[in-house]
Amino acid sequence: MRRIITILVLVICLIPFSRAFSEEARIEGEISAVGKYIGVDAAGGGEAKFTEYRDLREHGGLYGRARLNYDAEKYFLNFKASDFGYDTQKYKLDGGLWGQFKYDLFYQEIPHNITFDARTPFIGAGSSILTGAANTNVATWDTFDYSYERRQYGGNLKLNLLKPFFFNGSFQREEREGIKPTGMAATSPGGIGLELPEPVDYQTNNLKLEGGYAKNPLFLSLMYFYSDFNNSNTSLNLGGITGLTPAISAPRLLSLPPDNTYNKGAFKGGVKLPFNSKFSTNLGFAKGESDTSLLPNFDGEVETRNYDFILTSSPVRFLDAKVFYKYYKRENKSDRGLQATVGGVDIITADFLDYKTANYGAEVGFRLPARLYLNGGYQYLTTEREFIKVGEAITDPDLVGLILPSNRDRTYFAQLKWSQLEFMDIMVGFERLNRDEFKAPVQTNKMYAYAAQERDTFKTSVDVFPLENLSLGFEYRHRRADYNGTVFGLTKDKRDEIGSNVAYAVGKIAKLYGNVDFGLIKFQPDLARTVDPNDVPWDAKQKDRTFAYGLGSEIYAIPNKLTFVFQHDYLKSNGKVDFTIDPALLIAANGLGGATQDTVDILHSEDYTLYSFKIKAIYSFTKSLAASLGYAYERFSYSDDQLNGYVFVPATTGTNGAFLTGAYRNQSYKANVVFGGLTYKF
Amino acid sequence: MGKKILIFMSVLTLSLFALSTLGNAVEKAEYAGTETCKGCHEEYYGAFAKSTHGKKAVPDSPANRDGCESCHGPGAEHSGKGGGKGVAIFAFGRGTDPSAKASKCLACHGETKHLASWDIGRHKTMGVSCDKCHSIHGAKAKEPDVCYTCHKYIRTQQNKQSHHPVKEGRIKCSNCHEVHGTFGPRMVKADSITDLCFKCHAEKRGPFAFEHPPVSENCLICHEIHGSNHSKLLVRKVPFLCQSCHTRTGHPGRPATNFHSFGGPATSQKNRFFARSCLNCHGNIHGSSLSPAFDR
Repeated sequence: MRRIITILVLVICLIPFSRAFSEEARIEGEISAVGKYIGVDAAGGGEAKFTEYRDLREHGGLYGRARLNYDAEKYFLNFKASDFGYDTQKYKLDGGLWGQFKYDLFYQEIPHNITFDARTPFIGAGSSILTGAANTNVATWDTFDYSYERRQYGGNLKLNLLKPFFFNGSFQREEREGIKPTGMAATSPGGIGLELPEPVDYQTNNLKLEGGYAKNPLFLSLMYFYSDFNNSNTSLNLGGITGLTPAISAPRLLSLPPDNTYNKGAFKGGVKLPFNSKFSTNLGFAKGESDTSLLPNFDGEVETRNYDFILTSSPVRFLDAKVFYKYYKRENKSDRGLQATVGGVDIITADFLDYKTANYGAEVGFRLPARLYLNGGYQYLTTEREFIKVGEAITDPDLVGLILPSNRDRTYFAQLKWSQLEFMDIMVGFERLNRDEFKAPVQTNKMYAYAAQERDTFKTSVDVFPLENLSLGFEYRHRRADYNGTVFGLTKDKRDEIGSNVAYAVGKIAKLYGNVDFGLIKFQPDLARTVDPNDVPWDAKQKDRTFAYGLGSEIYAIPNKLTFVFQHDYLKSNGKVDFTIDPALLIAANGLGGATQDTVDILHSEDYTLYSFKIKAIYSFTKSLAASLGYAYERFSYSDDQLNGYVFVPATTGTNGAFLTGAYRNQSYKANVVFGGLTYKF
Repeated sequence: MGKKILIFMSVLTLSLFALSTLGNAVEKAEYAGTETCKGCHEEYYGAFAKSTHGKKAVPDSPANRDGCESCHGPGAEHSGKGGGKGVAIFAFGRGTDPSAKASKCLACHGETKHLASWDIGRHKTMGVSCDKCHSIHGAKAKEPDVCYTCHKYIRTQQNKQSHHPVKEGRIKCSNCHEVHGTFGPRMVKADSITDLCFKCHAEKRGPFAFEHPPVSENCLICHEIHGSNHSKLLVRKVPFLCQSCHTRTGHPGRPATNFHSFGGPATSQKNRFFARSCLNCHGNIHGSSLSPAFDR
């Protein structure tokens, strides 16, 4: 029904332009239909991975695409549509009066397939109530697909009729339906794990209105944004489930995202000043609210405020300067009735985060001789957090219950760019971050996101254009962070990333292009516990290596008649985790009986290879009619020690007890696609 | 003392003003007319005529002013000398200063909402001119390829197994980034990272009765938004990501080794290095209405 409404709206939008069609105008368009035969060699996980954001059904189908462009002296109208009837279908109509107004209307669907043929011993996957008995006979379990789809539709309007005044409005609705994986503890604490199908039935409406004035030297704008989110299911109810040890007590609920609304108002302004300077400001206020009756009642309310002031100036041709101050505050004003009195002390029964950031700095850029551009600056950022954890006394929130530190960040950066040679650009840049903690709890184990650190980032790029038809690009980025105050936690984090590309046009015969990318991401979490006799001191180095390249060509075998397209991409990721554990502690009491230094290491940590190639021939019978024929192959080989040898029920009781559903298992696939189609242009 | 400062500031101001006028003394030049340009540059003229710049219906468009010379400057001398790239004409070539090129575009587009924040944006600071992304005479620049021209390592990330559907054409870089300048961090179209992400992921917005602080503060603490080798765009694999913060007594601080995987002895799987690990139980990691452990 909604699709019919959408099409009707599109047609109605064309009516005001009927007059325009009598005007001398340029009309052009394209219609194409491509038939695809698809063969996928994969289990449910791989089939879903192959079609993660695509709708490529087994054995294929006919995929249509259309485009219409109408362009007159005063009016314009464009229509685009693709994948009619598929889960990836997309329609967009935009039009307007040149220089007066523009609008667009759109509808699109975005699938997200996670795992097909997942299993659960419970009845009611996809609904908000699960019943039935837990059992270990997986063959008898119900199957379902972890998959959801977004349907988005809406429109935008931009009015410039009364220049220099402007008005923009947009509305978008998104409906999301499907199932995604979630998990809960059957009993808390220490219960067995239950991986469960979570029903997704959301609706989100976003409305944005903005109006203002834009004429030098002044820019003023007022913006209002409203968003509401509605979830058809407030909880996933497991009250009727039997067969678990220990048994769960009814009602056993998994809370689902609560309905919420969000309102934001903002003012943006800018004024040009003498000496080629400009002062810009942005003032915003937002309030987010939610409510749920699961606790039994909770009224959530969060307010945010931000004030930004920026002064930029280029008083002389060789100098650019910027000074700024930015302030952001988040205040959680949610129902603080969630308190209890234990032993005569008021304690927090819900976690709330308040924080504020204040950020100021300056930046200068110098245009030097030989087309050198030197840019550098400094910024200082403080982030003050207040997070009171459940069970803490509320009488002294700044000290007793405070478990997140606050931070002071000092950042220095510099960058040099050289463009003296017309055939080459070179850039080098460096950034240093020093992060300190304050108002921090005294402890040796740290949370990496808030821990003190020294971080260096170095980057360089070279772009070379030795010939008119040849370009080469190279980029290298290195980042290293030392969490120097951390004894237990993440102590080091290093990453190197390289990207390069080349493009070459061989006259009018061919275009060749390619890229080689290499990334090494290396983390060194260093965790240990010695206080608790149940814990084992350990150390782990996690490494991820990624290597990728791509090659492509377009060969114009018969100019304007026959073109061959070839594309090949390869990406390999190799991850491992190297543990160091004292051999004397590899004992049963620590859950490591029989383990050795070799058997604890993780050799396959999301290892995968993505290999694909596509060949395609396009033959143009006339300027209007063309045919294409091609073949594509894609292979994804995935190996991960966390999912290899998958077992749906590792144990029915105890700390390794779990009833799993198969989410993300067996993601490897091989797929062959043969395609051919016709395109008619007018 | 105050008088000295006043004199110093006055001298400084006058000096800056004098410096700012250097180079502004442009000789009065003559225009050649668009028809003259068309004579040699017919291909460019054809593209110009089809574009918004060529529309008479658009007030203040180049078509209503000096045509090609609205952007390239007076061309009579260029024409008189027989043409040639950059000969007595403003050419948007690689050899021209980016800020000079941008100022040509901003002369008209600077008075729009679209480019009102250009001066404060990172692209301006980094010396990116409009023609780096926009081909005025040719086909429109296509995302994400035009962005990858400079941001090559973002392409590397985008090609990883866990990614937003950018290469599938379902979303674009400009859905999240305002490339023409913004007050937000990393040129995003919002005042904070969370505000941006919650536009599409409104179910994670809460406010929740039990908040996970990173969710409320910055999604990038856990997510590598341009692409990751780890599922759900995570910066590290679970459980190591979780253990980067949760190192305390009990199972958060214990090693989750291959010995604890499906391949290890059944009795040793108690640290749950299998399936989705921590998320097997703590499924409501973005916030819960019932449990501070996010397991309900």
